Amino acid sequence: MIVALGVGTFATRLSFLALFARNEPPRRVRRALQYVPPAVLAAIIAPLLFTRPPVESLTPDAARTAAAIVAFLVAWVTRSTLLTIVVGMLVLWGARALVA
Amino acid sequence: MIADRSDNKNALTSGSLDPASSPRAAFLAGVRACGALIMGVIPFAMVCGAAAAAAGFDFHQSFGMSWLVFAGSSQIVATQLYSGGAPAWVVVATGVVVNLRFMMYSAALAPHLRDVTPLQRWLAAYLLTDQAFAVTVARAAEGRAGTTWFYFGIAGALWAFWQAATIAGIILGTLIPASWSLDFVVALTFISVMAPVMKDHSMAVAALCGGVASVLLDLPLKLNLIAAAFIGIASGMITRALWTPRFKSGE
Repeated sequence: MIVALGVGTFATRLSFLALFARNEPPRRVRRALQYVPPAVLAAIIAPLLFTRPPVESLTPDAARTAAAIVAFLVAWVTRSTLLTIVVGMLVLWGARALVA
Repeated sequence: MIADRSDNKNALTSGSLDPASSPRAAFLAGVRACGALIMGVIPFAMVCGAAAAAAGFDFHQSFGMSWLVFAGSSQIVATQLYSGGAPAWVVVATGVVVNLRFMMYSAALAPHLRDVTPLQRWLAAYLLTDQAFAVTVARAAEGRAGTTWFYFGIAGALWAFWQAATIAGIILGTLIPASWSLDFVVALTFISVMAPVMKDHSMAVAALCGGVASVLLDLPLKLNLIAAAFIGIASGMITRALWTPRFKSGE
Protein backbone atom coordinates (compact mmCIF):
# COMPACT_ATOMS: atom_id res chain seq x y z
CA MET A 1 0.00 0.00 0.00
CA ILE A 2 2.77 2.42 0.96
CA VAL A 3 4.75 1.46 -2.15
CA ALA A 4 1.69 1.97 -4.38
CA LEU A 5 1.12 5.41 -2.87
CA GLY A 6 4.79 6.21 -3.41
CA VAL A 7 4.64 5.16 -7.05
CA GLY A 8 1.41 7.11 -7.63
CA THR A 9 2.84 10.22 -6.02
CA PHE A 10 6.05 9.94 -8.02
CA ALA A 11 3.96 9.69 -11.20
CA THR A 12 2.24 13.02 -10.47
CA ARG A 13 5.64 14.63 -9.93
CA LEU A 14 7.20 13.09 -12.98
CA SER A 15 4.19 13.79 -15.19
CA PHE A 16 5.14 16.93 -17.05
CA LEU A 17 8.83 16.80 -16.14
CA ALA A 18 9.44 13.57 -18.03
CA LEU A 19 6.41 11.49 -18.99
CA PHE A 20 4.64 14.08 -21.13
CA ALA A 21 7.53 16.52 -21.23
CA ARG A 22 6.83 17.41 -24.85
CA ASN A 23 3.32 18.61 -24.14
CA GLU A 24 2.04 21.55 -22.20
CA PRO A 25 -0.95 20.63 -20.06
CA PRO A 26 -4.26 21.67 -21.62
CA ARG A 27 -5.64 24.91 -20.18
CA ARG A 28 -8.67 23.24 -18.69
CA VAL A 29 -6.51 20.72 -16.84
CA ARG A 30 -4.24 23.46 -15.55
CA ARG A 31 -7.23 25.40 -14.30
CA ALA A 32 -8.68 22.36 -12.56
CA LEU A 33 -5.36 21.60 -10.88
CA GLN A 34 -5.33 25.11 -9.37
CA TYR A 35 -8.32 24.18 -7.27
CA VAL A 36 -6.81 20.96 -5.92
CA PRO A 37 -5.05 22.58 -2.92
CA PRO A 38 -8.01 24.57 -1.51
CA ALA A 39 -10.56 21.81 -2.18
CA VAL A 40 -8.46 18.97 -0.81
CA LEU A 41 -7.11 20.84 2.21
CA ALA A 42 -10.55 22.10 3.24
CA ALA A 43 -11.92 18.57 2.83
CA ILE A 44 -9.22 17.29 5.19
CA ILE A 45 -9.61 20.08 7.75
CA ALA A 46 -13.41 20.29 8.00
CA PRO A 47 -14.05 16.90 9.66
CA LEU A 48 -11.33 17.65 12.22
CA LEU A 49 -13.45 20.53 13.56
CA PHE A 50 -16.21 18.20 14.67
CA THR A 51 -16.44 16.10 17.77
CA ARG A 52 -14.05 13.22 17.37
CA PRO A 53 -15.07 9.60 17.56
CA PRO A 54 -16.34 7.65 19.51
CA VAL A 55 -19.15 10.23 19.31
CA GLU A 56 -19.33 10.13 15.52
CA SER A 57 -22.02 12.75 14.93
CA LEU A 58 -22.40 16.16 13.38
CA THR A 59 -21.58 18.09 16.54
CA PRO A 60 -19.23 20.96 15.90
CA ASP A 61 -16.52 21.15 18.52
CA ALA A 62 -16.58 24.78 19.66
CA ALA A 63 -13.02 24.84 20.96
CA ARG A 64 -11.61 23.29 17.80
CA THR A 65 -13.66 25.57 15.54
CA ALA A 66 -12.63 28.71 17.45
CA ALA A 67 -8.99 27.64 17.36
CA ALA A 68 -9.24 26.92 13.62
CA ILE A 69 -10.70 30.35 12.86
CA VAL A 70 -8.02 32.15 14.87
CA ALA A 71 -5.34 29.94 13.28
CA PHE A 72 -6.63 30.75 9.80
CA LEU A 73 -6.32 34.47 10.52
CA VAL A 74 -2.81 33.99 11.90
CA ALA A 75 -1.84 31.94 8.84
CA TRP A 76 -3.38 34.50 6.52
CA VAL A 77 -1.50 37.41 8.09
CA THR A 78 1.85 35.87 9.06
CA ARG A 79 2.14 32.94 6.61
CA SER A 80 4.08 31.19 9.35
CA THR A 81 3.42 27.49 9.91
CA LEU A 82 5.05 27.49 13.33
CA LEU A 83 3.14 30.55 14.58
CA THR A 84 -0.13 29.09 13.26
CA ILE A 85 0.44 25.86 15.16
CA VAL A 86 1.52 27.59 18.38
CA VAL A 87 -1.36 30.10 18.45
CA GLY A 88 -3.91 27.48 17.35
CA MET A 89 -2.92 25.05 20.11
CA LEU A 90 -2.92 27.81 22.74
CA VAL A 91 -6.45 28.85 21.72
CA LEU A 92 -7.62 25.23 21.78
CA TRP A 93 -6.20 24.58 25.26
CA GLY A 94 -7.43 27.98 26.48
CA ALA A 95 -10.96 27.33 25.22
CA ARG A 96 -10.98 23.86 26.81
CA ALA A 97 -9.79 25.35 30.12
CA LEU A 98 -12.53 27.98 30.04
CA VAL A 99 -15.28 25.43 29.41
CA ALA A 100 -14.03 23.00 32.05
CA MET B 1 3.51 22.70 0.95
CA ILE B 2 3.24 26.43 0.94
CA ALA B 3 2.20 27.54 -2.49
CA ASP B 4 3.31 31.12 -2.31
CA ARG B 5 5.51 32.66 0.32
CA SER B 6 6.30 35.99 -1.18
CA ASP B 7 7.64 37.28 2.12
CA ASN B 8 10.50 34.83 1.90
CA LYS B 9 11.68 35.65 -1.58
CA ASN B 10 13.69 38.73 -0.72
CA ALA B 11 15.25 37.18 2.34
CA LEU B 12 16.26 34.20 0.28
CA THR B 13 17.95 36.01 -2.53
CA SER B 14 19.56 38.87 -0.63
CA GLY B 15 22.30 36.63 0.77
CA SER B 16 23.81 35.95 -2.64
CA LEU B 17 24.11 39.13 -4.62
CA ASP B 18 26.70 37.75 -7.01
CA PRO B 19 25.06 36.04 -9.96
CA ALA B 20 25.14 32.42 -8.89
CA SER B 21 26.13 31.15 -12.27
CA SER B 22 28.48 28.34 -11.28
CA PRO B 23 26.66 25.14 -10.37
CA ARG B 24 28.35 25.04 -6.99
CA ALA B 25 27.38 28.60 -6.07
CA ALA B 26 23.81 28.05 -7.25
CA PHE B 27 23.55 24.80 -5.30
CA LEU B 28 24.80 26.46 -2.11
CA ALA B 29 22.42 29.38 -2.62
CA GLY B 30 19.64 26.79 -2.77
CA VAL B 31 20.76 25.14 0.44
CA ARG B 32 20.87 28.53 2.17
CA ALA B 33 17.41 29.40 0.84
CA CYS B 34 16.11 26.32 2.58
CA GLY B 35 16.88 27.98 5.92
CA ALA B 36 13.89 30.29 5.63
CA LEU B 37 11.55 27.35 5.14
CA ILE B 38 12.62 24.83 7.76
CA MET B 39 10.58 26.34 10.58
CA GLY B 40 7.50 25.30 8.63
CA VAL B 41 8.86 22.00 7.37
CA ILE B 42 10.12 20.59 10.66
CA PRO B 43 6.82 20.69 12.60
CA PHE B 44 4.95 19.29 9.58
CA ALA B 45 7.38 16.39 9.19
CA MET B 46 7.25 15.67 12.92
CA VAL B 47 3.45 15.56 12.77
CA CYS B 48 3.64 13.13 9.85
CA GLY B 49 6.05 10.87 11.69
CA ALA B 50 3.98 11.00 14.88
CA ALA B 51 0.74 10.33 12.97
CA ALA B 52 2.21 7.27 11.26
CA ALA B 53 3.51 5.90 14.55
CA ALA B 54 0.14 6.57 16.24
CA ALA B 55 -1.68 4.71 13.45
CA GLY B 56 0.27 1.58 14.29
CA PHE B 57 2.97 1.64 11.63
CA ASP B 58 6.30 0.43 12.97
CA PHE B 59 9.45 2.51 12.62
CA HIS B 60 10.47 1.00 9.27
CA GLN B 61 7.02 1.46 7.76
CA SER B 62 6.72 5.05 9.04
CA PHE B 63 10.17 6.04 7.88
CA GLY B 64 9.79 4.06 4.64
CA MET B 65 6.62 5.98 3.85
CA SER B 66 8.43 9.25 4.36
CA TRP B 67 11.10 8.10 1.85
CA LEU B 68 8.78 6.58 -0.71
CA VAL B 69 5.95 9.09 -0.63
CA PHE B 70 7.71 12.22 0.67
CA ALA B 71 4.52 14.28 0.62
CA GLY B 72 3.19 15.24 4.04
CA SER B 73 -0.49 15.90 3.40
CA SER B 74 -1.00 12.63 1.51
CA GLN B 75 0.98 10.73 4.15
CA ILE B 76 -1.32 12.05 6.88
CA VAL B 77 -4.45 11.36 4.89
CA ALA B 78 -3.25 7.84 4.07
CA THR B 79 -2.45 7.19 7.71
CA GLN B 80 -5.86 8.40 8.86
CA LEU B 81 -7.71 6.34 6.24
CA TYR B 82 -5.63 3.28 7.02
CA SER B 83 -6.31 3.46 10.74
CA GLY B 84 -9.99 4.12 9.93
CA GLY B 85 -10.14 0.78 8.13
CA ALA B 86 -10.40 2.01 4.53
CA PRO B 87 -9.50 -0.49 1.78
CA ALA B 88 -5.96 -0.16 0.43
CA TRP B 89 -7.08 1.06 -3.01
CA VAL B 90 -9.04 3.91 -1.43
CA VAL B 91 -6.01 4.87 0.66
CA VAL B 92 -3.82 4.96 -2.44
CA ALA B 93 -6.38 6.74 -4.66
CA THR B 94 -7.08 9.41 -2.05
CA GLY B 95 -3.37 9.98 -1.47
CA VAL B 96 -2.81 10.44 -5.20
CA VAL B 97 -5.74 12.87 -5.49
CA VAL B 98 -4.23 14.91 -2.65
CA ASN B 99 -1.00 14.99 -4.65
CA LEU B 100 -2.51 15.94 -8.00
CA ARG B 101 -1.17 19.44 -7.48
CA PHE B 102 2.32 18.09 -8.24
CA MET B 103 1.22 17.76 -11.87
CA MET B 104 0.71 21.52 -11.90
CA TYR B 105 4.16 22.11 -10.37
CA SER B 106 5.72 19.57 -12.69
CA ALA B 107 4.40 21.42 -15.72
CA ALA B 108 5.52 24.80 -14.40
CA LEU B 109 8.99 23.58 -13.47
CA ALA B 110 9.70 21.71 -16.72
CA PRO B 111 10.70 24.79 -18.77
CA HIS B 112 13.33 25.65 -16.13
CA LEU B 113 14.93 22.22 -16.24
CA ARG B 114 15.54 21.85 -19.95
CA ASP B 115 19.26 21.07 -19.81
CA VAL B 116 19.37 18.17 -17.42
CA THR B 117 20.14 14.49 -17.94
CA PRO B 118 17.26 11.99 -17.68
CA LEU B 119 18.61 10.79 -14.34
CA GLN B 120 18.66 14.34 -12.97
CA ARG B 121 15.14 14.83 -14.29
CA TRP B 122 13.88 11.84 -12.31
CA LEU B 123 15.73 13.01 -9.22
CA ALA B 124 14.22 16.47 -9.65
CA ALA B 125 10.77 14.87 -9.83
CA TYR B 126 11.35 12.81 -6.69
CA LEU B 127 12.42 15.92 -4.75
CA LEU B 128 9.52 18.08 -5.95
CA THR B 129 7.68 19.75 -3.06
CA ASP B 130 5.45 22.78 -2.65
CA GLN B 131 8.17 24.83 -1.02
CA ALA B 132 11.06 23.94 -3.33
CA PHE B 133 8.81 24.59 -6.31
CA ALA B 134 7.51 27.94 -5.08
CA VAL B 135 10.92 29.37 -4.18
CA THR B 136 12.70 28.07 -7.29
CA VAL B 137 10.11 29.38 -9.73
CA ALA B 138 9.95 32.74 -7.94
CA ARG B 139 13.73 33.02 -8.19
CA ALA B 140 13.76 32.07 -11.85
CA ALA B 141 11.08 34.68 -12.53
CA GLU B 142 13.56 37.31 -11.31
CA GLY B 143 15.81 36.23 -14.16
CA ARG B 144 18.54 34.78 -11.98
CA ALA B 145 20.89 32.16 -13.40
CA GLY B 146 21.58 28.65 -12.18
CA THR B 147 17.97 27.54 -11.68
CA THR B 148 18.74 23.83 -12.03
CA TRP B 149 21.39 23.69 -9.34
CA PHE B 150 19.56 26.11 -7.09
CA TYR B 151 16.60 23.75 -7.29
CA PHE B 152 18.71 20.70 -6.39
CA GLY B 153 20.19 22.68 -3.47
CA ILE B 154 16.92 23.75 -1.92
CA ALA B 155 14.99 20.57 -2.74
CA GLY B 156 17.78 18.31 -1.47
CA ALA B 157 18.22 20.29 1.76
CA LEU B 158 14.45 20.24 2.37
CA TRP B 159 14.45 16.49 1.83
CA ALA B 160 17.21 16.01 4.42
CA PHE B 161 15.47 18.16 7.05
CA TRP B 162 12.18 16.41 6.30
CA GLN B 163 13.63 12.95 6.93
CA ALA B 164 15.44 14.01 10.10
CA ALA B 165 12.31 15.66 11.53
CA THR B 166 10.22 12.63 10.58
CA ILE B 167 12.45 10.40 12.70
CA ALA B 168 12.07 12.83 15.61
CA GLY B 169 8.28 12.75 15.14
CA ILE B 170 8.13 8.93 15.05
CA ILE B 171 10.11 8.69 18.29
CA LEU B 172 8.60 11.64 20.21
CA GLY B 173 5.04 11.30 18.92
CA THR B 174 4.19 8.25 20.99
CA LEU B 175 5.42 9.88 24.20
CA ILE B 176 2.86 12.71 24.19
CA PRO B 177 -0.41 12.12 26.11
CA ALA B 178 -3.66 12.14 24.11
CA SER B 179 -5.20 14.79 26.37
CA TRP B 180 -3.00 17.38 24.69
CA SER B 181 -5.05 16.93 21.50
CA LEU B 182 -1.94 17.00 19.37
CA ASP B 183 -3.97 15.52 16.52
CA PHE B 184 -5.24 19.06 16.10
CA VAL B 185 -1.74 20.07 14.98
CA VAL B 186 -2.61 18.26 11.74
CA ALA B 187 -5.57 20.58 11.15
CA LEU B 188 -3.44 23.62 12.04
CA THR B 189 -0.68 22.55 9.67
CA PHE B 190 -3.15 22.27 6.82
CA ILE B 191 -4.73 25.61 7.74
CA SER B 192 -1.33 27.26 7.51
CA VAL B 193 -0.87 25.71 4.08
CA MET B 194 -4.36 26.60 2.86
CA ALA B 195 -4.60 30.25 3.94
CA PRO B 196 -2.00 31.63 1.51
CA VAL B 197 -3.55 29.78 -1.48
CA MET B 198 -6.89 31.55 -1.05
CA LYS B 199 -6.24 34.25 -3.59
CA ASP B 200 -9.71 34.88 -4.96
CA HIS B 201 -13.37 34.06 -4.45
CA SER B 202 -13.30 30.94 -6.65
CA MET B 203 -10.57 29.47 -4.44
CA ALA B 204 -12.67 30.27 -1.36
CA VAL B 205 -15.72 28.61 -2.95
CA ALA B 206 -13.64 25.54 -3.82
CA ALA B 207 -12.48 25.32 -0.21
CA LEU B 208 -15.96 25.92 1.23
CA CYS B 209 -17.63 23.32 -0.97
CA GLY B 210 -14.84 20.81 -0.44
CA GLY B 211 -15.06 21.27 3.32
CA VAL B 212 -18.84 21.09 3.56
CA ALA B 213 -19.02 18.09 1.23
CA SER B 214 -16.37 16.30 3.24
CA VAL B 215 -18.43 16.68 6.44
CA LEU B 216 -21.87 15.96 4.99
CA LEU B 217 -21.09 13.16 2.57
CA ASP B 218 -21.43 9.71 4.00
CA LEU B 219 -20.05 7.41 1.34
CA PRO B 220 -19.07 3.77 1.72
CA LEU B 221 -15.40 2.75 1.77
CA LYS B 222 -14.30 6.19 3.04
CA LEU B 223 -14.57 7.64 -0.44
CA ASN B 224 -15.75 10.95 1.09
CA LEU B 225 -12.47 12.76 0.69
CA ILE B 226 -12.08 11.97 -3.02
CA ALA B 227 -15.68 12.94 -3.72
CA ALA B 228 -15.35 16.13 -1.64
CA ALA B 229 -12.15 17.04 -3.49
CA PHE B 230 -13.81 16.75 -6.87
CA ILE B 231 -16.89 18.65 -5.67
CA GLY B 232 -14.60 21.43 -4.42
CA ILE B 233 -12.61 21.53 -7.67
CA ALA B 234 -15.79 21.62 -9.78
CA SER B 235 -17.33 24.37 -7.61
CA GLY B 236 -14.21 26.49 -7.97
CA MET B 237 -14.20 26.09 -11.75
CA ILE B 238 -17.92 26.84 -12.05
CA THR B 239 -17.58 29.93 -9.86
CA ARG B 240 -14.74 31.15 -11.98
CA ALA B 241 -16.62 30.51 -15.22
CA LEU B 242 -19.70 32.36 -13.96
CA TRP B 243 -17.81 35.25 -12.43
CA THR B 244 -15.25 36.06 -15.10
CA PRO B 245 -16.59 38.69 -17.50
CA ARG B 246 -16.81 37.08 -20.91
CA PHE B 247 -16.12 38.56 -24.31
CA LYS B 248 -19.35 38.98 -26.18
CA SER B 249 -17.79 37.68 -29.35
CA GLY B 250 -20.99 36.13 -30.67
CA GLU B 251 -22.94 39.36 -30.59
